[in-house]
Amino acid sequence: MRERYGISDGVHIVWHDGYQDSYGWPDGAKTAKTVVLDGLEAAIRRLPDPEEWERFFCAWKQWEEGAAGRTVVWIGTDVTQGVVPVDPQERRWRDAVGMCYQRLASLCCRVDRIWCGLAERLK
Amino acid sequence: MIVFVSGAVRSGKSEAAEVCAIRLAAGETLHYVATARAADAEMEERIRRHQERRMGMTAPWVVWEAPEGPDQLLAALRPPDVVLLDCLTMWWANVLFAGDEWKTEEGAFAAARCLLDQVRAWAAACRAVVIVSNELFSGGVPNDLGTFRYMKMLGWLHQQLVAEAEAAAVVECGLLRVKKGRWPQ
Repeated sequence: MRERYGISDGVHIVWHDGYQDSYGWPDGAKTAKTVVLDGLEAAIRRLPDPEEWERFFCAWKQWEEGAAGRTVVWIGTDVTQGVVPVDPQERRWRDAVGMCYQRLASLCCRVDRIWCGLAERLK
Repeated sequence: MIVFVSGAVRSGKSEAAEVCAIRLAAGETLHYVATARAADAEMEERIRRHQERRMGMTAPWVVWEAPEGPDQLLAALRPPDVVLLDCLTMWWANVLFAGDEWKTEEGAFAAARCLLDQVRAWAAACRAVVIVSNELFSGGVPNDLGTFRYMKMLGWLHQQLVAEAEAAAVVECGLLRVKKGRWPQ
């Protein structure tokens, strides 16, 4: 990720970590060129509502299109392939992650699945 | 040389790795690093099945049992030898949870680096090290800190090993899919 998007320059980059905090809306990112939203599945766990998330994805897409040279990078773990959980809340979260990833992938111009550091381009 | 093989539970990854190690050894000494500990009857049965399969092979294996085995192996290695480690997930659990390393981010990282250095030392001392690991990453991100650090550093180990490996593959339903390099024939 860092290699592909040149994330190591540390100047015009805003990195949101979904494991630590909630993501911000695009209004605060005026000077940034690259915005990374990491830990997406953890962020979705706090708000397992795909409709809400679609609005958020679209807002960031609009921000990206608002100026030349901007990139938004979403990073998430695939949590949808294990045993279907018995607990209804866990199930709801997993379903929301699957639906969000589908909607996000349709909005994104590039999608990679990373296996042990090797990127496999899906889109 | 490092060769990395991963796969899901019952995917056939051990068999694929054993065949690969035997080919690479070409009649020279094969070392087997066994990492599982028999905590219950099911584990005993699982270990027995692996042992029987190895005994049924014409190739003789020198077996190194965890937890001491991995530390003792290096001194015994000769340049034409081949090492098969099955599997990284068990070995890493033994290492990380043996003491208090899992309790801090730094401790867990230091333990993982130590394990990686051990694999590098083996690879430098023999013909090939074949590492078996597991596809653990699709069942969710664990809530408890110990398991979270275990998974995080296992992912890091996978990345380092695959980056340094000559060949890497994942086994699904008994089918081997090569992800990097040429599979040893």
